[in-house]
Amino acid sequence: MVKGLMITHGKLGKELLDVAEKILERKVDVTHIPFDWQGDGSDMLRQIERFIHAHRDCDIVIFTDMFGGSPANIATRFVGPRIEVVSGINLPGLLKFLSWQERAINFKELIKRIEQEAKDGITAMSAYLGEKKHD
Amino acid sequence: MIEKKLQIINKLGLHARAAAKLSHLANMYKADVFLIYNGDKVNAKSLLGILTLAASVGNEITIQARGSDAKEAASAIAELFQRKFDEES
Repeated sequence: MVKGLMITHGKLGKELLDVAEKILERKVDVTHIPFDWQGDGSDMLRQIERFIHAHRDCDIVIFTDMFGGSPANIATRFVGPRIEVVSGINLPGLLKFLSWQERAINFKELIKRIEQEAKDGITAMSAYLGEKKHD
Repeated sequence: MIEKKLQIINKLGLHARAAAKLSHLANMYKADVFLIYNGDKVNAKSLLGILTLAASVGNEITIQARGSDAKEAASAIAELFQRKFDEES
């Protein structure tokens, strides 16, 4: 079983999860921890620790919005054999995770697929249209 | 291999929610299922793959299914198109 944790600046992660639920038309099993702009991150740290402890028998993916941002920096302390942090998450990457979360798939393979889908989901549309025209 | 031509008749075309339903349905079958449109061939089990087709109302999509339950998969997907992805009455 793979558990998902979403930690982003502001409500970005919550909104991503809400949109994913609308697209998939079902509740999704990803926990959102809001980032406290005023705090020093210690509250977030404790919440992550609690989540990891509660799901210590599971693989865990922690999604954050930007490499080098506070949420990613805090989450990265927890990276280990069964915990991965994916920074720069977007809707395609999240949907990929949600599609494969409950299937029997190797954890490293799952992470690779999420990363690839999130990268592939970024497209400069003029270049895309140009390719189409040349077909 | 089963091959069918399907017309997109729902107003919004193959947008995110429709693509999610289609990929979810395709994933319920063992068969490999592909969608072909405008020279592009994508895996019908991939939500993002379907979205890259950017297919709209009125467009014709070819569906290819290969495997033990290919016929059932193709029929179920054809029915989803017919039902306008349950978006319109």
